[in-house]
Amino acid sequence: MSNSSLGAASVALGLAAAACAVVVVVMGLAGRRPGWFREARLLTWVMMFAATAAVVVMERALITRDFTVAFVAEHGSSQTPALFNVATLWSALEGSILLWTLVLCGYVVAVVLKFRTQGDDPMLAWALLTLFLVAGFFFALMVGPSAPFDRFAPPLGYDGPGPNPLLQNHILMAFHPPILYLGYVGFTVPFAFAIGALCTGRVGEGWLLATRRWTVMAWGYLTLGIVLGAWWSYETLGWGGYWAWDPVENASFLPWLTGTAFIHSVMVQERRGMLRVWNLSLVISTFALTILGTFITRSGVLQSVHAFVESGIGPWLLTFLAVIVIVSLGLIGWRGDELRAPGKIDSPVSREGAFLANNVLFAAFAFVVLLGTIFPLIVEAIDGRTISVGNPYFERMTMPIGFVLLFLMAIAPVLPWRKTTGEVLSDRLHWPAWIGAGSMVAAALLGARGWSPTLAFGLGGFAGGSALRQVVLATRRQGWRGLVGRTNGGMVVHLGVVLIAIAFAASNAYVRQGEFTMAVGDTAQISGHTLTYEGSRLTEYSNRTEKSARVLVDEAKVYEPAIAQYPFAGRTIGIPSVRSTWTDDIALSVLTFPEGSGDTVVLRATVQPLIVWLWIGGLVMAAGSVLAVVPGKRRRPTAPTSAPPTSHEVLL
Amino acid sequence: MTAPAGGSTRTAVWIVVPIAVVLSLLILLLATREPATERAINFELRGEIAPLIEGEGLDGVWFDIDDHSNQWVVVNFFSTTCVPCVREHPELVEFEARHAPLNDVVVVSVAFDDAAANIRAFFDDFGGDWPVISRDTGSIAVAYGVVAVPETYLVGPGGVIVEKLVGGVTADQLDGLILSAGGA
Amino acid sequence: MRPRVLSWLTLVVVSLSVLVFVAVDERSPATNADKAYALATEFACPVCQGQSVAESDVPVARTIRREIRVWVDEGRTDEFIRAQLVANFGEDIDYTPAASGVTSLVWILPVVVGAVALGGLAVVFRRWRDEPDRTANADDEAIVAAARRRR
Repeated sequence: MSNSSLGAASVALGLAAAACAVVVVVMGLAGRRPGWFREARLLTWVMMFAATAAVVVMERALITRDFTVAFVAEHGSSQTPALFNVATLWSALEGSILLWTLVLCGYVVAVVLKFRTQGDDPMLAWALLTLFLVAGFFFALMVGPSAPFDRFAPPLGYDGPGPNPLLQNHILMAFHPPILYLGYVGFTVPFAFAIGALCTGRVGEGWLLATRRWTVMAWGYLTLGIVLGAWWSYETLGWGGYWAWDPVENASFLPWLTGTAFIHSVMVQERRGMLRVWNLSLVISTFALTILGTFITRSGVLQSVHAFVESGIGPWLLTFLAVIVIVSLGLIGWRGDELRAPGKIDSPVSREGAFLANNVLFAAFAFVVLLGTIFPLIVEAIDGRTISVGNPYFERMTMPIGFVLLFLMAIAPVLPWRKTTGEVLSDRLHWPAWIGAGSMVAAALLGARGWSPTLAFGLGGFAGGSALRQVVLATRRQGWRGLVGRTNGGMVVHLGVVLIAIAFAASNAYVRQGEFTMAVGDTAQISGHTLTYEGSRLTEYSNRTEKSARVLVDEAKVYEPAIAQYPFAGRTIGIPSVRSTWTDDIALSVLTFPEGSGDTVVLRATVQPLIVWLWIGGLVMAAGSVLAVVPGKRRRPTAPTSAPPTSHEVLL
Repeated sequence: MTAPAGGSTRTAVWIVVPIAVVLSLLILLLATREPATERAINFELRGEIAPLIEGEGLDGVWFDIDDHSNQWVVVNFFSTTCVPCVREHPELVEFEARHAPLNDVVVVSVAFDDAAANIRAFFDDFGGDWPVISRDTGSIAVAYGVVAVPETYLVGPGGVIVEKLVGGVTADQLDGLILSAGGA
Repeated sequence: MRPRVLSWLTLVVVSLSVLVFVAVDERSPATNADKAYALATEFACPVCQGQSVAESDVPVARTIRREIRVWVDEGRTDEFIRAQLVANFGEDIDYTPAASGVTSLVWILPVVVGAVALGGLAVVFRRWRDEPDRTANADDEAIVAAARRRR
């Protein structure tokens, strides 16, 4: 059997299994099929098998260069190096949807395994129904508008163009999309349980507790995926930037923002039983935003450097989004009275007050990013003008929010629940605040100028100090267990955020860029570094021709930025050369080798401080998420969660 | 934004309905947009006075567009590495040859992001005998809002821009435009 | 308690003076190259998808970069440069939406929404403050006591 038929059969099997599973769950919910859970579990495994088989078949087709599969003919090539041959799967739409489906099936299997003892719980039934419907939608995409296994009749000696050259010249491309998908798709699970909670009317804390690890894990993957994406941009696009508020970047950032708000506000609901509607809305918006993000990436309605594929699945995704929005809002409206929260927040200066402020800020942040992203479309619809919203807007609007968030990050972790006194605060914040002030003094002595980066360093130091204080206290009290569990892992995540905030502020404020036209032997100066051009050379690779410039930096390190020509893809791309040190990065890229003027090169040099700490910060955040998922100190089921604090709690 | 405290069924509806309206509008908006790549290119200069073009030609003769305010001027932005530019070049040669005896039209080529040596070779290879400005042309290109070569601007007598042509021209097309604009 | 108050005061004074110092003391004034680079990041490259003039490597972006540099060297103001580029390439080259007409909504809406959210919070907190504290009645105490005995 050919790869095409095998693959198409797998996809069809997956769709059939999802459809059967939906029917089984519905009958189970109607009370007509007592053994529904066993059957649903079996069908989940069938779905998983179908998705795995489809991915394996596609990978086999890619590796063996089976050009009778249209996807391979369009995106594969005999010239692509082996690793990127595997990664070609997610370099284009059909393969991405396939990967998405596989990840989703994996999550559904995990849910079925984790909750195998609760098969008679209607909330689980509704959640599974939601998951099966979502999975069915993605299988249907692969049967309909995004069929990965369409056939192609290759002429004799046919070779494909290979994936977009930008997607096959850096190792990070092999990791960034799958990890991002693990994050994106992971939010389907809390979403499904939220729908389950709404449908059964059990809108208390049950669904939150059931899914909180899933949420933190999905959030951690999403964080890592975004950071790896920024790293990839920085290493391959050659303009020394890593974040440009591009629509596709924003699309991945939006669910991160609402997801971040969610993992903070769930703690208020767990502890005090409040913010129920809000938490449901957050988790539903997070899921809806992942679909909106996929739509923005894939439909081409917004201009983006990352929109590598345009396709006809736009209307499908939009319809799906509309269904999600209508169903969720309908359910929330219907369950309105049962969602009424019993408790109240005594004082704004308390842990729950801080979480509330955090949520308002993250919601505002998400609103600004969403508005800025789609605003050109709004203006176009109103009066037909085409406008752009970019960097200056996002920076101006989000910087104040960022500052307040950093400040909040500094004081919130030490705030007790319910209420506090000035004395407690003064006691706990004393040395974190001095770390903050110390960072500002140190930055100023090291040559930092300008109030906004310096303030960012100060608030970063403050927030870092207070996260550190919590970690130190916890480890002193509990040994290594003071590093695991949600609260302690969360503090590690905070440390990562602080690193990123400081690196972001420094690199943004002190970036230096210059363009130099240099003949062999010429030197140029930038930001205290000397560049010497030593000549160019041509190298042939299996899939490209590279013309590289040899540049000596500071008379010690050799950089070889290049321009690569991919004859099969018919494209020319730059290959920047980037070196990091703990303090600053030099990135060189070749703009052109002007013809007809001897061996000259037009070079672009970008020098930015502290870049490497962005990636370290991202890894710390991911590590913190892992620590947060590891079970910490167990709370007894009878331990008070919304009773007045005991004297013991106030002192901690 | 949903009020954190929730509320009775009525309040829930009051909150849900406006959100639903806003989100429906958003989805409607996204559903009705054309893909970004299919939107029209900007052309801000139609009917405006043509920006100044002056500079030394390949032959060393100084060119100034203001010296030709009683003629039609065809301003052609090009570069030697661009394929459509190579393809349209014979058409420009043909067009220029038609009008040379009448002296009613002048063609001027402006190099876009290219070296003077390449330009000279290009004209040696493909012919063409009209002013070619090859040095410091960035300001001219920016003044015309050139985004990607080839771009050709038709400037009427009196120095007003009549039309912008993108992606290559033909001699007949240019003549047709001049005719329909009531000239020559 | 005294020394702590003193310490906080010192901290505030130190922080504020550092901030004032770094804001006032411009160690190296921005060069023309820096100014041109900063400006170039504020405009969209007309033919690229989602890259700024500073980021892109296509000819038109390079040309515009060079022209911005020329203007900066001539001592033109940012407003002049912005107006020129918008006139020549169209409104969508400018990454900063105008603060007038329809586009001003993008600046106003977040502020309005933020103010409404803060106002809503203030109202909610006031309502919470006026609400009497719930106190446990005998039944509640009994439930808690039973739970503690089971533990």
